[in-house]
Amino acid sequence: MEMAIDTPSPSPSSASPAPSAAAGRQTRAAESVRLEHQLVRVPLEALRATARTNHRLAEKEIAAVLSSASAAPGDNGAAAAVDHLTSLVSRLHGLKRKMEEGARAEELQVQRCRARLDRLAAASAGDDGEWEDMRLKRILVDYMLRMSYYDTAAKLAETSGIQDLVDIDVFLDAKRVIDSLQNKEIAPALAWCAENKSRLKKSKSKLEFLLRLQEFVELVRAKNSLQAIAYGRKYLAPWASTHMKELQRVFATLVFRSTTNCVPYKVLFELNQWDSLVDQFKQEFYKLYGMTLEPLLNIYLQAGLTALKTPFCFEGNCPKEDPLSLDGFRKLAEPLPFSKQHHSKLVCHITKELMDTENPPLVLPNGYVYSTKALDEMAKKNEGKITCPRTGEVYNYTELVKAYIS
Amino acid sequence: MELDSLREAFDRVVEKRALSSTKVQEAIDQIVTEIEQAISRMQMMNTDYMGSCDHSSIMAELKAKLNEMVPLNQLEGCQKELNAALSKYLKLLEKSFNPDISKAYRNVDFEACTINNIIANHFYRQGLFDLGDSFVHECGESDGTYLKLPFQEMYGILEAMQARNLEPALSWASKNHDQLMQNSSMLELKLHQLQFVEILTKESRDEAFKYARTHFAPFVSLYQAEIQRLMACLLWADRLDKSPYAEFMSSTHWDKLAEELIHQFCSILGQSSDSPLNVAISAGFQGLPTLLKLTTVMAAKKQEWQAMKQLPVPIDIGPEFQYHSVFVCPVLREQSSDENPPMLMPCGHAVSKQSIMKLSKSSSRPFKCPYCPSEAVASQCKQLRF
Repeated sequence: MEMAIDTPSPSPSSASPAPSAAAGRQTRAAESVRLEHQLVRVPLEALRATARTNHRLAEKEIAAVLSSASAAPGDNGAAAAVDHLTSLVSRLHGLKRKMEEGARAEELQVQRCRARLDRLAAASAGDDGEWEDMRLKRILVDYMLRMSYYDTAAKLAETSGIQDLVDIDVFLDAKRVIDSLQNKEIAPALAWCAENKSRLKKSKSKLEFLLRLQEFVELVRAKNSLQAIAYGRKYLAPWASTHMKELQRVFATLVFRSTTNCVPYKVLFELNQWDSLVDQFKQEFYKLYGMTLEPLLNIYLQAGLTALKTPFCFEGNCPKEDPLSLDGFRKLAEPLPFSKQHHSKLVCHITKELMDTENPPLVLPNGYVYSTKALDEMAKKNEGKITCPRTGEVYNYTELVKAYIS
Repeated sequence: MELDSLREAFDRVVEKRALSSTKVQEAIDQIVTEIEQAISRMQMMNTDYMGSCDHSSIMAELKAKLNEMVPLNQLEGCQKELNAALSKYLKLLEKSFNPDISKAYRNVDFEACTINNIIANHFYRQGLFDLGDSFVHECGESDGTYLKLPFQEMYGILEAMQARNLEPALSWASKNHDQLMQNSSMLELKLHQLQFVEILTKESRDEAFKYARTHFAPFVSLYQAEIQRLMACLLWADRLDKSPYAEFMSSTHWDKLAEELIHQFCSILGQSSDSPLNVAISAGFQGLPTLLKLTTVMAAKKQEWQAMKQLPVPIDIGPEFQYHSVFVCPVLREQSSDENPPMLMPCGHAVSKQSIMKLSKSSSRPFKCPYCPSEAVASQCKQLRF
């Protein structure tokens, strides 16, 4: 199957690869920077959230003060009015302090956003090794945060000085909700839903509904049928138009109770429901911050292993430089597709270098092929004699013939 | 990537944020001033007249003033501007970056424990032992520790070398003498050379001579020229820096040797000297853009991404990731295999065995090479092994 992607027109006379190799490296580098969406997006979402919270608080407090000022008690005497107004002033001072704190938090996030842009600038200008090393560390921190290995994540970020490039705070916020769900507490998760209500609604999230369902189930488990009904009326009924089936199923638990053996209802009482709530929360959290749903490490690992996977990787003589010579990587690569080549790519068995027009392949009389560079060197050291490293046969350098591989 | 326009758009966000923040502060200050004025007027009134009949008019005035200010509308306006700047910047981000890099992700069992072991090994082989231990403790996988001890030894040797102490390196090299020879590595001799130059410059010519006699001897047959040059250094004992052999004193020898030591140590351990995780992730960064384009094209053609056995197109990754020789028959456009191996025609061009069968109509009839005018017979063609 042919497709119009990156397929240079096949020409049997192999073109000189030297200049295009450097250009290829550059375009590859530029393309891979375009993958860093999460790096710039997450701190921006954090900034947006902080700014929104601050604004809402200011709005609420000022509105409260205004309405309270205008509804001041008129006939309790001047002294009472003065007291009332003084209390409003101190309330405003409190608000001002909070706003100052909020502004500082926003500035910190601004700085973080800027650090990410600076980091991207470093990708195109400078040390490739350092950029790649830091990139891997960022990805590892992301992985560990998602897997709840917070201590090691923090340590790695600190020892490599990349605190501004990873989102530990954002994840620690989420950790509070995750921890509480693991302790079978719903309230913090519901508070989180309320904080992000409009955006969750926009993405048609049903996290809040699922949390409410769980709370309902817990009431049934505790045999508080009346309370459960009241709860259902208040919090579940609004979801009826979109989630009727689930709603009906949960209400049926009133009849079946927590000891039921009837499968559709039994699962609702199982404890791993809480684990799936944690998963559900994580998904919503990732979406809200513009993160990928899978850890970055997994995504890049899959892409890398797909690109590296050839049938030769699984043979006994796979060189140890290939990650796919290791069992762990082989296991991960198993469900992935093989890569494909449209053109021959020959690697010299001796030097491990690519054979091309600069360093063309030479054929020994026994059919084994090595690079000119390797055989020239061998001939120089051994007075024109070539020993095939794989069969031990000895030939004269003059017996070798050049192969034209297109 | 237009970093400059991104910066510009972000600067606008920053500007609007600062503006909105000061506006809030100002609004609070204004309200405070108004209320405080009202308070002081009431207090004045208390002392001037004895009555309280007028405080309600002051309250009414305050109310009117506050209503006139409409502080909330001001805040609202600022916030709107900030939101506009934010969404403009967000749109630019979506355009400049690939907003969903998980499009090409295959939803397969990607076992966490396998990945965790890979990560633990990565930390240990990078010499990050504390991180490795902390990680193993947190993830609870203990299979990832088998590289810890050997790499601790290696980093111990390197640390000693940093402190100009060659003892551990030398003892490791002599222990692995045979294998180093087999790899035709000069590491051991080079280590002795460093030690020899150290003795020559810091101790005495006699000591250096003695050292050379005991330690260079086993290498004479292989590296005669090298050793002759080293022995010539003895003539310049106290002024080696001004001799033709001054370069032996260069500190780059230490760095290069440390690199060679890492290379040989890993090789004897059966490990590659680059972290395999590093290699796989770098390949991932280079390969993913093509994979993402491919998923888009395939989705448009309604082809199945999740179940395909081989990619339909090549992925452009650097030559450093090419570990295996792949021969693609230029006639059939198929990768060679054991059943269909590459064959060399007498003219030097190579095609697959099946192509030759086709060209020669499965007989011994001569046929023309597809790439040049020369003719060949199937029996003259030779199977190639890369």
